[in-house]
Amino acid sequence: MKYEIDASIDGLSRRRFLQGSAMAGFGAFLAACSGGSSQSPAPSGTNAVVIPTPPPASEAPSASPIPKVVTGPLHWAQWPAYIDLVGKAGEAGEYKPGSSPTIEAFKKQYKVDVNYEEKILANEDFYATIQQQLVAGLATGWDMITITDWLAAKVISKGWAEKLDQADVPNCSANIRDALKNQVWDPNQDYHYPWQSGMTGIGYNKATLTKAGKAEPKSLADLWALPADKVTFLNEKRDTFGLGLLKLGKKADPQTITADDLQAVHDDIKPLSEHGLRFVGNEYIQDFAAKKTWAAMTWSGDLASSGSENDRWVAPTEGSMIWTDNVVIPKGAVNKYTAELMINFCYDPKIAAQIANYVYYVSPVKGAKEEIAKLDKDAAKNPLLFPPDDVVAKQQNFQFLSDELEAKMNELYSDLAGT
Amino acid sequence: MTATTGDFGAPMRTHGRGWRQRIGRATPYLLLAPGILWLLIFFVVPSVQMFLTSVSTGSVDSGFKLTFSSKAYETAFTRFPRQLTNSLVYGGLATVLTFLIGFPVAYTIAFRGGRYKNLLLFLVIAPFFTSFLIRTISWKILLNDTGPVIGPLKDAGLVPESFGLLYTPLAVVAGITYNFLPFMVLPLYVALEKIDPRLIEAAKDLYASNIGAFRRVTFPLALPGVFAGSILTFIPALGDWVNAELLGNTQTKMIGNVIQDRFIGQGDYPVAAALSFILMAGILVAVSLYARFLGTEQLTG
Repeated sequence: MKYEIDASIDGLSRRRFLQGSAMAGFGAFLAACSGGSSQSPAPSGTNAVVIPTPPPASEAPSASPIPKVVTGPLHWAQWPAYIDLVGKAGEAGEYKPGSSPTIEAFKKQYKVDVNYEEKILANEDFYATIQQQLVAGLATGWDMITITDWLAAKVISKGWAEKLDQADVPNCSANIRDALKNQVWDPNQDYHYPWQSGMTGIGYNKATLTKAGKAEPKSLADLWALPADKVTFLNEKRDTFGLGLLKLGKKADPQTITADDLQAVHDDIKPLSEHGLRFVGNEYIQDFAAKKTWAAMTWSGDLASSGSENDRWVAPTEGSMIWTDNVVIPKGAVNKYTAELMINFCYDPKIAAQIANYVYYVSPVKGAKEEIAKLDKDAAKNPLLFPPDDVVAKQQNFQFLSDELEAKMNELYSDLAGT
Repeated sequence: MTATTGDFGAPMRTHGRGWRQRIGRATPYLLLAPGILWLLIFFVVPSVQMFLTSVSTGSVDSGFKLTFSSKAYETAFTRFPRQLTNSLVYGGLATVLTFLIGFPVAYTIAFRGGRYKNLLLFLVIAPFFTSFLIRTISWKILLNDTGPVIGPLKDAGLVPESFGLLYTPLAVVAGITYNFLPFMVLPLYVALEKIDPRLIEAAKDLYASNIGAFRRVTFPLALPGVFAGSILTFIPALGDWVNAELLGNTQTKMIGNVIQDRFIGQGDYPVAAALSFILMAGILVAVSLYARFLGTEQLTG
């Protein structure tokens, strides 16, 4: 069953909600991931080659000699519109200093400056900017980075993440949703805490499609059938190939798929790519605004938080992708303690509610769904924050690929992208 | 020679003179030293490094080993014919277009600019006050379906709803042409500015028509500018990838996009380095052929 979200109505209620001073426990989002991970193959320890594991304990830096002093400014690399924003910045979905109540509150409480930058449009592009420093054992210049499962697993398994001192992050260990615990690549949350989870499905602009005389897409097959030059897929390869597998009726299971399956996805998408299909990152938001894109593979929260009133997001009938972005402190971070304080701060249910209610993604912080329902009935009913069971049942996690499959996918993707 | 008296004594005098002479002879080299050092550190060293990378094998995470393998070159030569063609065609078209647009502009400024010369020249380079990226992104807005170029046409029903300019080869060529236009106009202006107007008057006195005077006097004298302008435009246009990335689609990718993807997307440094090396070598060959064809003295005017 499909559902859709009217961003304009939600947008209004979101802002109203933000103004309300009593903002308690956001929470609980249903077992989106728990459903997802039991259903989908996420990390289950059957394939040792595929799944990265944390580095041996000896490599862990000793956190104790670092004095617990708040230092700054805290350098945080983040995706666009991925924290609560108010005013013009909130409308534009673009952070400006002073526009995020959460960051302002943190600055006030700890008397430290925060250099929050929306630097990440795609995992790979961002990774390329820090990879060489990490390999060479140099500081990256960031104290906190927000990266998706597969990259977080990679960074952590290479020993490029600072070990968190759990004593500094009591909120996190107390409030993290159970479904997100026990990731094989960091089972004890030694190196990461989830920032937000989200789904990848179909986004479209209702008005543009109606004007062009096209029906609203409900399935991936519908998306494939639209004029290719009015459609974009994602340069996050795992999303494009994962949905491509679902479109072909295959299970997007990293442990059962083969190179041939990936090849089949490539062959299925190739004709579209020859007719103007483009592969983009977060910038699809601008193409939606400019009406250049009619429909696209998009991440669940973006159009609701930064899109226009006619933008819709649906979980395709074939299924959707589920993923989590994680906060990691890269090796050599200068303000590690402050970064820990920030993660901890954001795991306060009040703050988490504030953030989730703007970004429209799935919060990792435990709380009561009833609690948010008391404050805002619409938000509690919002399928982006609380996906219905039938959607959850069809979520698949396509994050951890073996080196061979990853190389194959990279090669196939480059061919599709014209390089 | 009083300076060399005293402790140095007479025998030192000749030595002193020799030293000075040597300094005198070395002066040009000393003056060149900063430039040569610059070239050495920022061009020769990276080139060597790039060459070594291109004959290595390995991956970013596990490191690259120098194996003197030619595999990267095989891939580079065989895998990307379309992107190579795109680079040559778009770069070439953009160079011709900048010339066609730039020559009248430079001519007007040089011969008819009068007291507005400096202002007009300033206007030519004014876009440089904004970053390359911002200028290219603004072309996205201009060429968009709802933008000022096609928006009104669509509203008037003159073009079909599905018609678009953005993300087409046309948009890429337009972007490159716009971005590199000043590189064509400025050398052309310098060349045209230097022409003594009396030469043209003389040609007309000798019964040359306007067109004849232009063809046989003005244009040949402007050739050094044409040469410099086309080189300054063609080389960066050939290696450009921003315009193809922002204004094009998957079929308009240029060789620069491939290099970028190999470096960042795939972490395949050897192929990326091999492609960069081939591009550089190709440009050097093309420029030297061009120089031979037009004569090297044209390069320096």
